[in-house]
Amino acid sequence: MAARTLAQRKQITAWLYASPLVIVLLPFFVAPILVVIIASFLENDGFGGMVRHFTLANYAAIFGAELTWRLYLSTIKFAVLTWAATLVIGFWVAYFLVFHVRNQLLAIGLFLLCTVPFWTSNIIRMISWIPLLGKNGLVNSVLLSSGAIHQPLEFLLFSDFAVIVAYVHQLTIFMIVPIFNAMARIDKRTVEAARDAGASRFDVMRFIIVPLSKNGIALGSIFVLSIVMGDFFVVKVMSGGGSASIVSALFEDIAVLQYPPAAASAVVLLAIVVIMIALILRTVDVRKEIAR
Amino acid sequence: MAAAKGDIELAGVYKRFGDVVAVDGVNLKIPDAAYCCILGPSGCGKTTILRMIAGHEDPTGGEILIGGDNVTGLPPVERRTAMMFQSYALFPHLTVRDNVAFALRVRGLSKPDRYQAADAMLEKVRLTELADRLPGHLSGGQQQRVALARAAITEPRVLLLDEPLSALDEQLRIQMRTELRRMQRELGITFIHVTHTQLEAIALADLVVVMEHGRIKQAGAAREVYAEPRDRYVADFLGGQNVLSGTVQTVNGASLIVSAPQAKDIVVPLAGRSRVASGDQIDVAVRRDDIHLRRASVTVDQDWNALSARIRAIEYQGFFVKVMLDSLGENELVAYVPERQFFEDAFEVGDVVLATWSAERSRLLV
Amino acid sequence: MSTAPVALSRSAMRARRRIAEGVEPKRPWTFWVLATLFAGYVLALYGPMLCIYVLSLQDIRGGLVFPMKGLSLHWFIDLFTQVRTGDVKGGFERSIVLAVLVTVLTVVGSFLAGLAFRQRFKGDGVVFYLMIGSLVAPGLVLGIGIGLLFQYLGIEATWYTSALGAHLSWTLPFGVLVMFAVMSRFDRAWEEAARDLGATRWQIIWMVVVPILAPGLVAVALFGFTLSYDEFSRSLQTSGSLNTLPLEIWSMTLNVTSPSLYALGTVTTIASFLIIGVCLGAIALIQKRRASRVAD
Repeated sequence: MAARTLAQRKQITAWLYASPLVIVLLPFFVAPILVVIIASFLENDGFGGMVRHFTLANYAAIFGAELTWRLYLSTIKFAVLTWAATLVIGFWVAYFLVFHVRNQLLAIGLFLLCTVPFWTSNIIRMISWIPLLGKNGLVNSVLLSSGAIHQPLEFLLFSDFAVIVAYVHQLTIFMIVPIFNAMARIDKRTVEAARDAGASRFDVMRFIIVPLSKNGIALGSIFVLSIVMGDFFVVKVMSGGGSASIVSALFEDIAVLQYPPAAASAVVLLAIVVIMIALILRTVDVRKEIAR
Repeated sequence: MAAAKGDIELAGVYKRFGDVVAVDGVNLKIPDAAYCCILGPSGCGKTTILRMIAGHEDPTGGEILIGGDNVTGLPPVERRTAMMFQSYALFPHLTVRDNVAFALRVRGLSKPDRYQAADAMLEKVRLTELADRLPGHLSGGQQQRVALARAAITEPRVLLLDEPLSALDEQLRIQMRTELRRMQRELGITFIHVTHTQLEAIALADLVVVMEHGRIKQAGAAREVYAEPRDRYVADFLGGQNVLSGTVQTVNGASLIVSAPQAKDIVVPLAGRSRVASGDQIDVAVRRDDIHLRRASVTVDQDWNALSARIRAIEYQGFFVKVMLDSLGENELVAYVPERQFFEDAFEVGDVVLATWSAERSRLLV
Repeated sequence: MSTAPVALSRSAMRARRRIAEGVEPKRPWTFWVLATLFAGYVLALYGPMLCIYVLSLQDIRGGLVFPMKGLSLHWFIDLFTQVRTGDVKGGFERSIVLAVLVTVLTVVGSFLAGLAFRQRFKGDGVVFYLMIGSLVAPGLVLGIGIGLLFQYLGIEATWYTSALGAHLSWTLPFGVLVMFAVMSRFDRAWEEAARDLGATRWQIIWMVVVPILAPGLVAVALFGFTLSYDEFSRSLQTSGSLNTLPLEIWSMTLNVTSPSLYALGTVTTIASFLIIGVCLGAIALIQKRRASRVAD
């Protein structure tokens, strides 16, 4: 008879299967984070090195600086606005693709159509906002020639508006994919049963579609929020240097080799992002997506 | 004595999942080339036993022998058993022929060889024209035959079927029943068929095993289990019997007089069971087709038992009429009246009648 | 038995007329609203791209903004031939190789991890949250951490070691999440049936699980390739002395900028449309062939 029971063998196999993932995560996630955490407690020698001396000075500097609070406020503001916009657009696009497009091949085709722009480098797309939204850009030209406005719109580029537009442009797809996936799993017969019982389309949305898409919405939100909180060049470029983000400030520190303060800033940011994500994960059971 | 290849023996088999005991000490012997049906409601442990014989679950205790070999702990392929799953589990990405040939492909047979064997098997189940179809384009009955062919190609000594007919509609179910029986005779191997439909079990099986809560309540030939149930549970589950509970009033020689809340002085033959005494609580069974319904005014013979009852519902069933009567408290009394007899003097719902049966047709239950 | 006359609403009367005339049912008004929204979204998505396409067709006098100067393929030629302050060709090659490596490793790693998570195993919660952590951690922070780590260990950071690892720490969690979604629709009975018929564990995976999950694996591959090819923040500190394409473009935008970048954008779009067209065409062809096989 087998020396190990079936159950024990299954556990070992599971670990073997999970090992590639763990082998990547340990040196390329766990270790770097630990390094950064350690660096944040070290003393800065001012010349690009770190003195092996435990200090809380870096954190004190962060929490004491008014700049920190302003940066966080600004970044969180962008994150929330982007999240709201991507949610609204993403939800309705996903809904359209799942419930209104009848042919499956067409739905896939339309979906792929939405992904093509992402094969062009992010940075090229970033530069192309200028000819689109600038004073002499396409949008202004069209609006001027049609007579809708008489002066070119200045706020379109190098402003908070531009930052949000760039984020939403880049990140809506991250909302669409998980919501699409969650909606595609809704049994259309439950919708039929509800209509049969007299529910209006609004009722169906409120009582069936939205609750059953919650997992997708949560996942999409996690993607969007974490990417915006961690961004460092979209803000700089699209605001014309007017706004900064936490990570862009961090990046500047790195550029002048001030590692410990940068590390402390990174740790604080990481903690905040983790708290945000944890709050979202509390609202849904993401593990339900996995094994029975 | 050398055991025949496909006979099965379960010795003290016990299975628990966490706190739940699914199979509670089962002992059973199934002879080679028998058609055995394990019958019981959901959760009684029948599927668990099937899976343990197949090798997809390991028992927590006890042993399983097939053909005299102890197979406990062996993987399915080494037991020479094959299983037909309730959902058929046909591989959706393979054609019918590839599905059937799968077991041979896994053993390393070349394409021409395994296709030849697969086609021969498809002949047997009469699916040759569908060999190139995908499972998604087959009807329920066709899928079932593919599943059967796929399992049988490995030449197992035992074929295990997990509720094979449950997914089919009524007419198809009856049709496929004969198919299964025919296949079993042709292959000459042991079939173990799990089901919750009693009529199916008694139609097919050489050996019927009735289960409840992980234990075997009765195992025997179909006729024995249906006509002579050993206890109330088996009688109720198999249907076909009415069961009355009562107290023994007197014991006189070959028979008892039982008093039940709904009827007095029911005469029950002892049939060799001497350990019953006055004052004991016992169950009495009467076959549904042994009950004759009479108008309330009629006088009844001496050696006939009679019970007054009101007709609650009448169902026409073709060759007989099912009459459901109010009288036994929670269990209703049911009479199967031959059709022609019923319509000679038809009763109506609400009529008060006498349910009568010949005293010697009452049976004592354990 | 009589039925009282029912007062019909206008929409019911219209529906009845349509049925009587044998006309196809019309779509609800919500369809048109949503279709407009969707069209608007696609238009907005391609908006910047349109500028790229148009401006890439300028002649040698062209700049980065409107008004447009001339019409020619100058910048396309410039893109492929010029040796400039940037190494577009080298960056492109490195990005492609890296993306292919990342894709292969991601598909294999996500598939295996997806298999692992189908049951509860000791520490599965820890692995799951580590994975989520790797997904949400700001790319630059991880990049810095990896850079420092390699520096401390004395290993040189290159695009095929540290950058590869950095990319994987981003694509693997994505891939695993996709696998979760795909595997939840997989019926375990298929595996049991295969096991019953005598297949070994590897045979089951190779002959049953992988073919059935193939569309999901393709999705993971697509994700992995796209995420790696365009990856920037994690690569910044980890790719060492030789740049990947996004880094190359970044340094180009900081130094010298010309419409050749737009030409690059146009070329990638054409390439992606071609690839998608081929894939969809292949799927349609397979479906048609299957249907015809069933018909005989």
